[in-house]
Amino acid sequence: MNSFYNLSIISAEVKKCLKILLCYPMELVFWCIFPIFWAVPFIFQGNALVGGMESEAFSKLTGTTQFMPYILIGAVLNTYVLSALYGMSNSLREESYWGTLELILGSPCSKIPILLGKALNEAVTSTIFAVMQIFICVIIFGLDVAVNQILPIMLIVILLMLGLYGLSIALAGITIQIKQSHSLIHTIEYLFYLFSPVRYPVNINPWIRMVSLVIPLTYALTVVRGIMLLDKSLINLWQNVVILLAIDIGLIVLGYYIFFYIEKRARKSGIISTY
Amino acid sequence: MNAENIKEWKIELTYRVDFIRGLFEPLIFVLPFILYGIAIVGGKYSENLEKLTGTGDLITYTVIGYIFMGFLETAVWGMGFALRKEQWYGTIEQVFAAPVPRWVYVMGMALHSTMHQGLIILMQSVIIYFIFGLVLDISGILPSLLIIGIMMISLYGLGILLSSLVLIFKEGWIISEIMYSFIIIVTPIAYPLAVLPSILQKISMYMPTTYGITTIRHFLIGEVSGFTVLDAIVRLLIIGVAWVIFGLFIFNIIDKRVRNKGELGTY
Repeated sequence: MNSFYNLSIISAEVKKCLKILLCYPMELVFWCIFPIFWAVPFIFQGNALVGGMESEAFSKLTGTTQFMPYILIGAVLNTYVLSALYGMSNSLREESYWGTLELILGSPCSKIPILLGKALNEAVTSTIFAVMQIFICVIIFGLDVAVNQILPIMLIVILLMLGLYGLSIALAGITIQIKQSHSLIHTIEYLFYLFSPVRYPVNINPWIRMVSLVIPLTYALTVVRGIMLLDKSLINLWQNVVILLAIDIGLIVLGYYIFFYIEKRARKSGIISTY
Repeated sequence: MNAENIKEWKIELTYRVDFIRGLFEPLIFVLPFILYGIAIVGGKYSENLEKLTGTGDLITYTVIGYIFMGFLETAVWGMGFALRKEQWYGTIEQVFAAPVPRWVYVMGMALHSTMHQGLIILMQSVIIYFIFGLVLDISGILPSLLIIGIMMISLYGLGILLSSLVLIFKEGWIISEIMYSFIIIVTPIAYPLAVLPSILQKISMYMPTTYGITTIRHFLIGEVSGFTVLDAIVRLLIIGVAWVIFGLFIFNIIDKRVRNKGELGTY
């Protein structure tokens, strides 16, 4: 019975968030297109620097001469980071803007299905965005996606999402406490953007490489690019998959612990409804 | 105008953490261009870039392009959101009821945003100089400042246009982001015009940032472009006047419309 109720809470949360998103169709279209647009200057820059679309120097760092698909894959997967940090982390803050946070936290249900519902909503919407972006990459930029690559890529994306949503649940809890958490979220976004191989290989600098080892996006990008650009299988890349899984478990456990600790503290101090 | 400028500074400096983060943010977004460029060519020098522009120093080339493009942020975000911010503060009706032309408020925010951007550029230049080393022709600094001043005329026109569009669209950040992203692509920030498809090259010729950035790089690092300095200045002035007139025209239409329909205070 409890499982049935929890599933219906998750489903209601997903439906609610999707309905709200569909009220802003321009936002939907924007996120399907613009993460790829933001990567376009890098493609032109690469062409200007080497006079073509392939680079031998690049292949020494990445194993592939083709920087365009490298950049595009980074742009698509980075969509999940933006969704986790700005969507999921701010989800409870949005409830307080709408005046519904106290109702949710005061309701006689576990907070876990509510958080799972929000995470599932973000997963669904960011996957819709990612699929549209890949479609654009295939049609306009000629990105090659083989059918047998789709399942392993989906598995890695799911693993990436697990870790990111673990982190964003912690951030959602912190947001309940400090209210204006956008500086913290921006800072984490910058860390992800600079220290994982979204736009460039992290081997370019030893400090960047060192910090990238603790970021789940690093491993997800390494595996997806390995599958799509270097024709490797998941088995060949098993070490990256195992590390990604270990980071996910750590982030999920930490995320839930931080959220429940802060939520309990916020309820005791009575600051939940303060703005 | 100055009152609006001072007000914005006071609000901004109240949130010191955000203010400091904002100073470093442009640096975060220029570093990937530099590191990516180094990864592509295996060093700091590009033979192909030298063939296209007369300079092979990809770091200085990219940095100059990117940091001066920060003034586009003045137009798009600083001015574009000027009136939307007044809506958030709950003071838009007072602003509109005051016996002052509305565009003056927008220009006040532009003044603040320009000063803020100047501070960011100074900081970025110093940090990047110490990390990567920049080799610039110092005698080009004053003419570059003149070009920036002329370029800002068009950008202010764009800012006035965007600030009015936000009154209609409410969630105007999408409009600003679309405009910003598009201009970033067609402006030769990290690459010369020659690598753009021909249709984008043609569109680029109507962007003030194209002439602004290319001419500044000509003064500072000797970039060779497809037009003379005099050409660039004349085109910048023409585009500037056209964009300001267009911006004010649209602003007045939208101003009247939102007041007629009673949509000014709607969120």
